[in-house]
Amino acid sequence: MLYILRRVAFYLAAFFVAVTLNFFIPRIMPGDPSARIIASFQGRLNEAQIEAIRASYGTTGSMWEQYLGYVGQVLRMDFGISTVQFPEPTSSLLFYGATWTLVLVGIAITFAFLIGTMMGIHAAWNRGGFFDSVFTPINVMLNAFTPAVVALLLFYAFSLQLQWFPLGRAHSTGLSPSLSFEFIGNVLYHATLPVLSILIVSFGGWHLGMRNVMINLLNEDFVILARAKGLSDRRVRYRYVARNAILPQITSLALSVGFLLGGALVTEQVFNYPGLGKFTVTAIESRDYSFIQAQLLLLTMSVLVANFLSDIANVVLDPRLRKG
Amino acid sequence: MSSDRALLEVRNLTVDYVGEHSIARAVNGIDFDIREGEAFGLAGESGCGKSTVAFALARLTRLPGLVSGGEVRLNGENVLKFDKARLKAYRWNEVSFVFQSAMNALNPVIPVAEQITDVIETHNPSLGADGARARAEELFELVGIPPSRLDDFSHQFSGGMRQRICIAIALALNPRLIIMDEPTTALDVVVQRDIIEQIVDLKAKLGFSVLFITHDLGLMIEFCDRIGIMYSGELVEVAPSEAILTNALHPYTRALGNSFPPLTGPRLRMEGIPGSPPDLRSLPQGCRFAPRCPHAMDICRVENPELRLYPEHRSQAACHLLN
Repeated sequence: MLYILRRVAFYLAAFFVAVTLNFFIPRIMPGDPSARIIASFQGRLNEAQIEAIRASYGTTGSMWEQYLGYVGQVLRMDFGISTVQFPEPTSSLLFYGATWTLVLVGIAITFAFLIGTMMGIHAAWNRGGFFDSVFTPINVMLNAFTPAVVALLLFYAFSLQLQWFPLGRAHSTGLSPSLSFEFIGNVLYHATLPVLSILIVSFGGWHLGMRNVMINLLNEDFVILARAKGLSDRRVRYRYVARNAILPQITSLALSVGFLLGGALVTEQVFNYPGLGKFTVTAIESRDYSFIQAQLLLLTMSVLVANFLSDIANVVLDPRLRKG
Repeated sequence: MSSDRALLEVRNLTVDYVGEHSIARAVNGIDFDIREGEAFGLAGESGCGKSTVAFALARLTRLPGLVSGGEVRLNGENVLKFDKARLKAYRWNEVSFVFQSAMNALNPVIPVAEQITDVIETHNPSLGADGARARAEELFELVGIPPSRLDDFSHQFSGGMRQRICIAIALALNPRLIIMDEPTTALDVVVQRDIIEQIVDLKAKLGFSVLFITHDLGLMIEFCDRIGIMYSGELVEVAPSEAILTNALHPYTRALGNSFPPLTGPRLRMEGIPGSPPDLRSLPQGCRFAPRCPHAMDICRVENPELRLYPEHRSQAACHLLN
């Protein structure tokens, strides 16, 4: 329990460091969004107008006052008004995009982790056998592909040429979100190719990770003892080997969350999927500062949350961490 | 305590390690018996094949290891020919194992209780979960650990306690033979003493046989009834343990005996054995110990001596000097 509390304290501190950096880094750079807008009027603005523009971007007052104001806003989840999708609040855009990215990445990570881990268990258990010698090299190769190439190939083959899958969007325009079978089916249908493109490049990593840890464990005395005890193959494989090998996999899972959220950007761009990545690209193109800043913060937060969850999972699964 | 009836007869047992370009014969056709209720020791330098023998007896040899010949007979049945079902029954019911390092012999992430009950439930499904649990408590008491600690994990026990737990696991099904592969090597001498005394007590009470493997000759002489000395994959001498120090027949046995300092008496300069064991992939012709043997004769470099019985000494040895 103490361990969990210590982790909570650590993540809170990390969060405040992230917020602080997120505030200062853009301000170290020369110029600010209001300066750019003011400059674009080429001196045709009076003092009051300049002040109004500055106030709307939060660039008035001392650095310290600005910082306190920013922290307050972050805690209230108020990220300002989007300049591009005016007058949509940035937070609602952010959560809309995040929801769809979560659908995409959530399904992809879950399947990649399950498929890859199961394949790794099987390959390690029958090391050097048919399955291992065929699928391990194939998965190494797939793992080396970049998401962009796979996404473009899938899009070209199945959306453009064969037209089995839609050209974009998260669901058909005629449908409004609901918890009906029709809507969920429609969402899954639209998500198939984007999910597949992430899945194809990522499950190989889980396969390799699980296989390597398993193979190291196979020579441990407790595994040999389990075999000598005459326990069933199944029990030795899952309870004595996979049970231990899964621990580092869970830590990697947390680390991969940030990577995948960032990587989904390409996939969403290719499949025109309304996720966080797609919005971020648009925001960068149109210099929507408030969105970019909020998105970076969200990314940081999701990595912290994922790490925290993996810490908890490790405490639950690994008794050696429970003390102290 | 020990009868003359053989529990396990090992005949011409041969184990190879198969490499990509070469084969190393780690155990070269050895013969010995383990009698009922007896503690039989296997001693020798690292790499002489003693653990390989132990693994072969328990049918635990895995590639690149390969049992390539011989027989291991248990009441006339050849263990090496057991099918899957018979092997499952053989394991732990008849032969159980205690490993060298108690640190690694228990799975660190599952409770100790489960590691005892699972073997009981696998082999005696009729006992049920409660029966298995009751048996586990009984076993813990037998080795002197409070049963209340059954649900702890291995890292919560000291090294000595872990080895006791391993012994409890080995006793779970009342096997007739327990193979102990350096059971006390990882422990300090005081704990070592406790563990050995406990094994002696349990052995007297339950009547199992022990195959004891160690390179600590002193400990082995104290604990075992008979000892087999291995060199480079072959048995060079099998003798009652009291004969090993005082009446060794083979020069290697004598050299091994001289490598251990006596605890009492004057300080002696230890001799050691010059040279090192041969590479199993390119063995010398003749006796394998000849290159290191101070008494080697011409015939030793030509012909490998066979293990022969010398009834006047109650020992078997493989050496040309004795003929």
